[in-house]
Amino acid sequence: MSIRLTWCLAALLMIPLPLSAAVQDETDVDIQVREIAKTLRCTVCQTENIWESGAPLAQQMRGVIRDRIALGHSTEEIRAYFLSRYGDYILMEPPKHGVNWLIWVAPFLLLVIGGFFLYKEVTHWVRDTPTPPSQPEPPLDDEARKRIERELKS
Amino acid sequence: MNKGWQLTLILCLIGLFALFYQGLWGDPRHIPTVLIETDAPNFEGPDVETGQTISLDQFKGKVVLLNFWASWCYECKVEHKSILQLHQLFKDNPDFVMLGVNYQDELPDAQKYLKEYGSTFSHVRDLKGQLAIDYGVYGVPETFVIDQQGKIRHKWVGPITGEVYTNITQKVIAPLLNAQPTTTTTS
Repeated sequence: MSIRLTWCLAALLMIPLPLSAAVQDETDVDIQVREIAKTLRCTVCQTENIWESGAPLAQQMRGVIRDRIALGHSTEEIRAYFLSRYGDYILMEPPKHGVNWLIWVAPFLLLVIGGFFLYKEVTHWVRDTPTPPSQPEPPLDDEARKRIERELKS
Repeated sequence: MNKGWQLTLILCLIGLFALFYQGLWGDPRHIPTVLIETDAPNFEGPDVETGQTISLDQFKGKVVLLNFWASWCYECKVEHKSILQLHQLFKDNPDFVMLGVNYQDELPDAQKYLKEYGSTFSHVRDLKGQLAIDYGVYGVPETFVIDQQGKIRHKWVGPITGEVYTNITQKVIAPLLNAQPTTTTTS
């Protein structure tokens, strides 16, 4: 019984070991490759970055990043290289210059404009909606009064 | 809401609709190239058939047509006949060179492809994909025309057939060989 339990515990303990080892084995170069690859779009898979993509082109691009890091190129130099080959499209985040600012500002601008129009419309409705004149409560008739007294007593 | 605001809102909506409509007709796979009028990156690689090293530097001062292809690519098979025809048209001109670039392929598959479909010019192997990335390639077939000064003058994504063939031969390569102004176009 105890031997079985020991084996089971040992087996359970073994499961996370390869994972943690893999994480610990990640070198500075691996981290740099990952950080750069996450900012570059996979040009053949639309919405994925080249770190997450399994496409052969993305794998080759990761290889190019690794080679350039080995040659001593900085993160910005490597990003600039891909930018010079593929243009702004390669970047997961469009650079904040020129007409690209529109992409960054437009959602907030539309939100503000929409909010403004909504505010104007609501205040317009509130102002134009006629408020009913306040009327005094109708007095209770005898029958209703008696019914209330009866129910309070019961 | 007064008339001015209503008009602004309507114009904004029309603008958004126009952008949406344009997006519907655009090709999401099409990436505008930034390489036109830039220096063609040099490369070096083994010939698919002979194994001898080929480098772009060998062809300095010539008009070079680079055609990226792969044996697994259907559209490359579609354009292959036109590509051979194009080579036939200009091969006697000493200022013209045509090179194939075999992309993301296995050597035996590439050699088998060339035997089956025919080959009249040299093909370089892009061993690690570096060459394709240097040229901003994201699929095959892709074709580049490099002028005598080593600048990329034309890029086409997709098969060189029909009107594209006519355009590249008559409006790009022929004027470059005759030292006339060309239209630098991209797909």
